[in-house]
Amino acid sequence: MRQTTLCVPLDVRPESTERLSALIELLRRREDRPHIGAADNFALLSRAVPTLHFMSLSVFEHQSFDPIFIIEANFDGRPGPFWAQLEAQMGEDLREMLRCCKEPFDRTRNLYCAITAEGSRVPVAPYLEASTQRPSVFHHGNRGLTRDRIIAEAKLFRALREELDKPQNQGAQPYRGAEPEDVRDRLYQKMLPEHPWLGTPGPPRVSGTERFLDISRLFLFATMVVGALAIPGILMAAILQTPIYLAGVALFALVGIYLIARDRAPLPGTEVKTTFSLLGYLLKHAPLVLSVLLLPAAILTVVLTAVALSLVGLYGAITGLTGEMEAFLWPVSRAVILGVLGIVSTTPYLVWWLRRLEMRDHSQDSPHVDDDIATQMARYEDWVSQNHMGSIVLIRPGVLRSIIIRYGHMGLGLLLRVTATNGYLGSMRTVHFAHWAFLNNGSRLLFLSNFDQSWGSYLDDFIEKAHVGLTLAWGCGVGFPPTRFLIFDGASHGRRFKAWALASRAVSRFWYSAYPDLSVDQIERNHRLAEGLRNGPLNRADSRTWMKDL
Amino acid sequence: MKAWLAARLLGQAPRAMAVLRRVRPVLKVGSTVIVTRYDDVLEVFRRDDVFDTPYKAQIDVLTGGEPFFLGMRAGPDYDAGVKAMRTVMHAGDLARLGERAETLAATAVAAHEGGLDVVDDLARRVTFELYADYLGIPRPPEGRIEVWATRLFEFQFAGSPDDHALRAEVDEIAPAFRAHIDGEIARRKAAGLNGADDVMSRCLALQAAGETQFTDAFIRTHLLCMMVGGPPQPPMVIPHAMEQLLRRPTALSAAVAAARADDDERLWRIVREALRFDPLAPALPRVATADLTIACGTSRETPLAAGTKVFAAFASAMRDPRRLPSPETFDPDRLDHEYIHFGHGLHECFGRMMNEATLHRILKPLLKQPRLRRASGPSGRLSKNGVFADRLTVRYGP
Repeated sequence: MRQTTLCVPLDVRPESTERLSALIELLRRREDRPHIGAADNFALLSRAVPTLHFMSLSVFEHQSFDPIFIIEANFDGRPGPFWAQLEAQMGEDLREMLRCCKEPFDRTRNLYCAITAEGSRVPVAPYLEASTQRPSVFHHGNRGLTRDRIIAEAKLFRALREELDKPQNQGAQPYRGAEPEDVRDRLYQKMLPEHPWLGTPGPPRVSGTERFLDISRLFLFATMVVGALAIPGILMAAILQTPIYLAGVALFALVGIYLIARDRAPLPGTEVKTTFSLLGYLLKHAPLVLSVLLLPAAILTVVLTAVALSLVGLYGAITGLTGEMEAFLWPVSRAVILGVLGIVSTTPYLVWWLRRLEMRDHSQDSPHVDDDIATQMARYEDWVSQNHMGSIVLIRPGVLRSIIIRYGHMGLGLLLRVTATNGYLGSMRTVHFAHWAFLNNGSRLLFLSNFDQSWGSYLDDFIEKAHVGLTLAWGCGVGFPPTRFLIFDGASHGRRFKAWALASRAVSRFWYSAYPDLSVDQIERNHRLAEGLRNGPLNRADSRTWMKDL
Repeated sequence: MKAWLAARLLGQAPRAMAVLRRVRPVLKVGSTVIVTRYDDVLEVFRRDDVFDTPYKAQIDVLTGGEPFFLGMRAGPDYDAGVKAMRTVMHAGDLARLGERAETLAATAVAAHEGGLDVVDDLARRVTFELYADYLGIPRPPEGRIEVWATRLFEFQFAGSPDDHALRAEVDEIAPAFRAHIDGEIARRKAAGLNGADDVMSRCLALQAAGETQFTDAFIRTHLLCMMVGGPPQPPMVIPHAMEQLLRRPTALSAAVAAARADDDERLWRIVREALRFDPLAPALPRVATADLTIACGTSRETPLAAGTKVFAAFASAMRDPRRLPSPETFDPDRLDHEYIHFGHGLHECFGRMMNEATLHRILKPLLKQPRLRRASGPSGRLSKNGVFADRLTVRYGP
């Protein structure tokens, strides 16, 4: 099942900030309580928007900008039906909130005016849809599990536990001492009447088509990057003889590597020793790394050669000069192959350039945090076992940084789609839905996350297990702790990183989770149990493994 | 021939609307506009400050110039009219109406061993009996109330100004109908309030209690309009729903199972979903009362001059994949906002709740019959006379 993560960023009129916050608070109070006929909080929203996993409404304030209103949504399916569902439930609330926002100056201006005019009843969904910002990087925990499926499997888990814990089953517990296959089969028969969906196989979490597209996109991206890096080499190879070109590449590469080696040392007091080793990571993922490098290089060679020959052929057809194509085949192929090889000389200079920038970066070790805001944030946290955070930071300027941050995010996002398919974010088992998005012409970076446990332990988890990815994604932020080669240090500065992250946060005034008592781990556990029941009789070994989740 | 052609064109409407939604969502032809996307249909229905219903002239013919809220703009008169009728036709009646509808339908089915025509033998017969009793309008000594109401409905909602024959008929029926209701009012007053619990009795009780709004003319007009606007509709939509179920064996099985289990809520959901594929009509008309722009700020933004006739294609809106998940899938668990059967906004069908209480209950006894199937031959397929369902014969039993 396709899932969507998006946000709607809207500039707020400064004089309406308080009103907007009050409207969000009112909406939360209305929704975040039990209603008639439903014991759970947010029951109306849950029923009206049955595809929604997580949603938040926040107002971010910054001393350099007017406040910004962010609507975050993570849901199953396409955005169109989702917006219609949301409008049916809280369209008029959203309209009032939009009236607190600034009139946009882009193509959505007329639409904004139409929906916010006095007494307007024009649907708000088209405006929200038109103002939607797609994430630059996103992660879906428990990927491919729809909200209904997560809730149904949680219900099954509770039923299984109740069955095992029944008072009459104490003492002469009917399952105790039984063979694992028998336990599984008897529980299946017991559960089937109340959970008839167990009788049919579940859809795949990630379909073959989706998987194919994810991998194709990653390879296409890698091909484009390799192509961009190979351009100087291709041009040089076209005009130089092979030995001279190769000698030049080797010389430039050596100089580049020397420069990197010279400046590789961390700045005094900024190094954080971690267990992460880039070489170790590359070796561990050698097949993926090699395929992401070599396959695009091969594709690039074939494609560029074909394009060049087609152009030659076209030229020949126009001018009547035939028989020239064969003569171009080898020179073109040679230039492309040598150009791709030339990447070994261009890459070190880019890395060194980046390192020079990092050495001159300023960080903010002790950012100011408004006590009132911190108190408010604390007030909204830890009511359930999940929490929410939102942060906006400024992005460091510069051509190289701009290119790296954009394409770095793109590559990271594509890599996550290919690698994070088991429900977890690498070794992190606490992230439900998280995403980054560029705002304000790419000058600001938004981060929104829905996670298990408290904010502090969540960031500790990040710092300990995913500091490399975090530094790569967030290291472009103004004031971020000092980084080294994009991935080292940075978020590993635990205390400094947490202070920086805290200062960029906003109060999560309205935050909705469709399953607030389920952790990512528990959802995966429920899913394994459900699949074990759904997928027919299991053999003894599989049944034994399956039983460990009971 | 004209009716046959209209029925054929209506049959192709879903395909045509799907094309329009994609290539020309707001189609303007002269001073007429058709909007086909969900957002735009909703906008037309919601903006009752600039879109009026075009019914007032016909209503005046039916009522002899007395006002009825369907022909009014939003305002105190409209609110007062609706509020008054809600005091005499209230939610407390729904359960009783549903039960009565099912009982009448069971009788109708029992009277036709082996098969029946869903249009005449079931839907029309049950609906008129149900609502005539509920409203308190007895059968006229001359003429048939089904014919009167249906012809006036046709004039009101689907009639052409050029149809002089229909107008001549209406000029005879409408005064007769009004006189018939006046006669009943007079009879009841003369007989004293005898405790009958129908809408007319409630109106007369309020009149007797000093509610000045409930004049004889008000009671007559509103009962007439309720009779004209209400009962002719179920004989149109119930066959539509049955036809859609017959086309989908899985959905029909689900409906049969729900009927047999007396699961009325489930059965309503199934019938409602069936009607999404063929509701009362493809579109409802509105008239722009001022110069305005619809779909403002979108690529389909269209300025309209005052007087432009706008058809809000709600049938198309309910199949718009931009706002409905998998609209071509038969899914009874859809959300309420995905259905616009009864219009939306100010002039949403006054009888919506009554329809929700009765439509599925009328089908229920039929669905309970064993081996429910189409009759063989053309009579087993829904045929229409213009927008009106004409015939759909089903068989059941061995």
